[in-house]
Amino acid sequence: MTAIGEKAPTFVLEDQFGRKVDSAKFIGRCNVMILFYPLDWTPT
Amino acid sequence: MEASLDAFKRANTQVLGVSIDSVHCHANWARDLGGVSFPLLADFQPKGAVAKSLGHYLDGPGITDRATVIIDKEGVVRYSESVTPAGSRDMAELLAECEKINGSGSAAPASTKLSSGTTLFVKSACGVSRRARVAIDNLHASKDVAIRNVSDDAAAKAELLKSGGKDQAPCLVLEGKYMYESGDLIAKLADTLAPLL
Repeated sequence: MTAIGEKAPTFVLEDQFGRKVDSAKFIGRCNVMILFYPLDWTPT
Repeated sequence: MEASLDAFKRANTQVLGVSIDSVHCHANWARDLGGVSFPLLADFQPKGAVAKSLGHYLDGPGITDRATVIIDKEGVVRYSESVTPAGSRDMAELLAECEKINGSGSAAPASTKLSSGTTLFVKSACGVSRRARVAIDNLHASKDVAIRNVSDDAAAKAELLKSGGKDQAPCLVLEGKYMYESGDLIAKLADTLAPLL
């Protein structure tokens, strides 16, 4: 498990528009905020 | 969240939602929420791998926790907190956190409008036509895209055949180009209206 201050693992996951989102592409460009949520049909 | 997306953009922050649900489940849920244009990612195969790697997977129920991780431009984790599945996030606090991490740098919010005349030809009882319409709702673009149903509109069908070359639906007409491949046209709409930072 990654702790604060460590490099985050990168990942490629598909979004609701069918786009493959590659987290490595944000490095050097912008910050990323990941909102984990338990299941769909629950609030974000 | 959707309402504060521009503020996060100004803080140079790409927002990503992650759960273990499938992509289609995400799209329909998002539309029911009033439309979600930031990426909702399916942490699906293997189940919960990204959540596990960041310590926010709940093994008991087999779901992702309600938790937030902020990663800076260098790819380093700067914030990682759970509010538990039943809890709720404090978006103002998270925005302040992102602004603090970002410092003064800012990405200009990239927003593109659809050109006038953007049209989606659809078919009745067609899963991919429906998916394209769900995507348009998630992108808040239903007022900017004319929907024409070739199943019950002979003129629309004839026009699509004449101008696009095939009367196959769904077909997106954007800037005079006819796109027939459903995956491509949905991704193109998303890249135009909700580009990633």
